[in-house]
Amino acid sequence: MTTVTDAEHDHKNITRRRFLTAATSAVGVVVGGMAVVPLIESMEPTAAALAASSTTVDLSPIEPGMQVTVPWQKKPVIIINRTPEMLASLKETMDKGILKDPLCKVPQQPPYCTNMYRSRIPEWYVGIRICNHLCCIPHYRPKKGSVAPWWLGGFHCPCHGSMYDLSCRVIQGSPAPHNMAVPEYEISTEKMSTTITHMYPKAHLC
Amino acid sequence: MSKYRYLCFLFVSMLVPTLAFGAGETVHWMTPHYTFNRTTVIAGARYFAAHCMACHSVSSLRYEYLTADLGMSKSEVMKDIMLPSGAAFKGTIDSPMPSDMAAKWLGKPPPDLSHMDRYLGSKFIYTYLLSFYWDPARPSGWNNYVFPMVAMPNILAPWGGTVGPKGQVIYPGKLSPAEYHKNVADVVAFLRYASDPSYFKRMALGPYVIGILLLFTILAYLLKTAYWLDLKKKGRHVDSRVKRS
Amino acid sequence: MSRFSVWVNQRLPLDETVKEHLTEYFAPKNFNILYYAGSLLLLMIVMQLISGFFLMAHYDPTSQGAFASVQGIMYDTNWGWLIRYMHVDGVSLIFILLYAHMFRGLLYGSHRTPRELVWIIGYVIYLLMMAEAFVGYVLPFGNLSYWAGEVITSIIHAVPIVGPSLTTLARGGPGVGTATLQRFLALHVVLFFLIILAAIVMHIVALHKVGSNNPDGIEIKKHKGADGKPLDGIPFHPYYTVKDLFGVGVFLTIFVTIIFYAPTMHGIFMERTTFLAANPMVSLPDVTPPWYLSPYYAMLRAVPNKYYGITIMITSVLLPFLLPWLDRNPVRSSRYRPVYKTMLIVAGISFITLAWVGEQPPLPKFFLIERVATALYLGFYILLPIISTIEPTRPVPERVTG
Ligand code: HEM
Ligand code: FES
Repeated sequence: MTTVTDAEHDHKNITRRRFLTAATSAVGVVVGGMAVVPLIESMEPTAAALAASSTTVDLSPIEPGMQVTVPWQKKPVIIINRTPEMLASLKETMDKGILKDPLCKVPQQPPYCTNMYRSRIPEWYVGIRICNHLCCIPHYRPKKGSVAPWWLGGFHCPCHGSMYDLSCRVIQGSPAPHNMAVPEYEISTEKMSTTITHMYPKAHLC
Repeated sequence: MSKYRYLCFLFVSMLVPTLAFGAGETVHWMTPHYTFNRTTVIAGARYFAAHCMACHSVSSLRYEYLTADLGMSKSEVMKDIMLPSGAAFKGTIDSPMPSDMAAKWLGKPPPDLSHMDRYLGSKFIYTYLLSFYWDPARPSGWNNYVFPMVAMPNILAPWGGTVGPKGQVIYPGKLSPAEYHKNVADVVAFLRYASDPSYFKRMALGPYVIGILLLFTILAYLLKTAYWLDLKKKGRHVDSRVKRS
Repeated sequence: MSRFSVWVNQRLPLDETVKEHLTEYFAPKNFNILYYAGSLLLLMIVMQLISGFFLMAHYDPTSQGAFASVQGIMYDTNWGWLIRYMHVDGVSLIFILLYAHMFRGLLYGSHRTPRELVWIIGYVIYLLMMAEAFVGYVLPFGNLSYWAGEVITSIIHAVPIVGPSLTTLARGGPGVGTATLQRFLALHVVLFFLIILAAIVMHIVALHKVGSNNPDGIEIKKHKGADGKPLDGIPFHPYYTVKDLFGVGVFLTIFVTIIFYAPTMHGIFMERTTFLAANPMVSLPDVTPPWYLSPYYAMLRAVPNKYYGITIMITSVLLPFLLPWLDRNPVRSSRYRPVYKTMLIVAGISFITLAWVGEQPPLPKFFLIERVATALYLGFYILLPIISTIEPTRPVPERVTG
């Protein structure tokens, strides 16, 4: 009878509807996703921002023992011309065993800076001066004994007291988990200049 | 005429190609013949770098776009396009000529050409480049049919030749007219790319985007017919599944 | 119903709203292609909001930086071209839809009682969209933007007594500059936009209060089934939601084709003079409004007198508000009113002609066509009250056709 075929037909049609609803929604989601990707990517730094993103610093006025802090991509970057005593203090902190990550195993610096100096050239430290704990700017305390009687020189954060040595390696007992980040840079002692190019992607700023 | 009004006049005469008609001359607009593809645009970019970039910037473009959009290699761009003036690869394509100097030499600074093609059109640029004639009355010695009192000298004269006000050839160019016209058409193609830099991206992506939307449309159409089948049946105008409270 | 949805619905009328506006909103079953425009307009408003948001993330509302920041979007921002073309071409498509939507209303008498408020609120939306488009137009600060800003703000100058101070107020200074851009941006993204959204909500609420009209212009509520539902009505959801989904597919395909293959539509959707930075020293050879406003501009030009010109223009903008009352014939739909239909088509063609001449340079050879088209367009409004009382009509069916 007609009712039977009607019911059969209804049943078929409902399956068809379910299938088409699923298929249309699936394609709709793809279309939506296709629209979302460009929208989100549009919020990334523009080519103009990227082109303006590297900073070159003249090193010639920085005498041994001196430091300068320059803005790079709205972040303070510290450049220290370390004296031999300062370099010796880096060995000392390691010998004392007070560092959280003395061998710089956590990639807080590009591979070419994975050494106790955390730099391309031992004397010249180039690094982002942002505390790994919660993003404050640590004070530079190069004098021995200035923060504590055992202090060998380094950085002391005013916010929650994180301590770092002169390679910005974090000292045990600090709230900061890792050493301070080192960006990617190029340096030439002939031209006496350094160019900070970009963030080292694996490094965790704070 | 004050220098200022002179500048304004220059600009306005450029904005109103019809002014040339007013002057009683008939301009034959010429259509550049080129296929708009990467090869042509790269040829145009090279030609532009060699002949135009001394004075004109296309500062909305960056050198790196020539690799990303046109498929040139970085070394090709550095060798053929970039000027030795310390330009950066990520930087904008700027002319090395300081604009105050240019104003002194030429009477007005050469305009940035980033948007010229969309603003004036390919035909205008092409015809303009081929319409210079020798006019000793002008400070630079050059005048132009479509842009009277032009400030720009005919820097392409060695290749295209020099003609007088009546179109008579004074010196023939180093290139045959066909070759020369092709070079000029390439430059026009480059300027078209410069004013519409997303062109190649759009062409590459367009078919896929339209394709998926068509698929969506077809599915939605089938879905619609599946539902509207209810209305075709006599005496039942709503889906039995729709609960009526 | 799950306990959660019971909990929610005791506090928020979700189910009720869905029932009222979707599953138990009974729409006539004979909507034709012109009825897609309404839902597509809703879609496009959302699209403008999204693309506008991402544009604003890069826009700099200063006279120094505006043009460069917009070019930065086109050249330096990832997918910036896509977002800007979406926004710019979106405007033209919105106006195409608006004109189709309004013409549909006039064709089938949807503006007639009891839907006068639907029409009036709709027309207010149209006026707001014009204002929204105008302030948006100034923002990229190309030379066209600059001169459009100058010219329109100086029209306010013609207002008696307060005109000059209003102009200064609109510009925020003696001329169009940073202050103008900043207040126009605020109008564009906050004030005008929010009012438009609110008006759209009122438009739909008002429509759902009285129910949709249809191409036959007859009331479906006159014939109800045993269950009390109109016999010629179908629930909006699922029938019209799936149908509108198909409309969305077709429309988006067209939209994307325009964006990818003709983003400036040969200078119609994006005029060539927008590619030159604003320059107060160089007026443009072709100061013409965008195509969707040019009919009114043509009417302004058609009258060789400044004040009468402005009066004619403003009158022609405001006249549609009166249409529900200018039309006196008891039959709504033009399907059964051949004379009205002819008048409407003539008025429509005149309007399109005016849009076309409005884009032409102001040369004397266009004066005749401009004046004839203006007369025909305004003639529609003047003749309608008389013609509609005496025109012959065809018999109107009891139930919807097709
Ligand atoms: C962005 C602006 C607008 C939006 C989002 C919008 C939205 C809608 C929607 C969703 C509908 C119901 C679906 C339909 O019948 O197509 C509708 C109906 C209607 N709209 Fe609009 N509308 C807008 C502008 C306008 C304008 C400018 C007018 C006229 C001046 C107008 C007049 C009407 C009328 C008369 C109806 C009822 C149509 C009928 O029942 O036959 N609308 N609108
Ligand atoms: S931020 Fe430096 S210690 Fe907390």
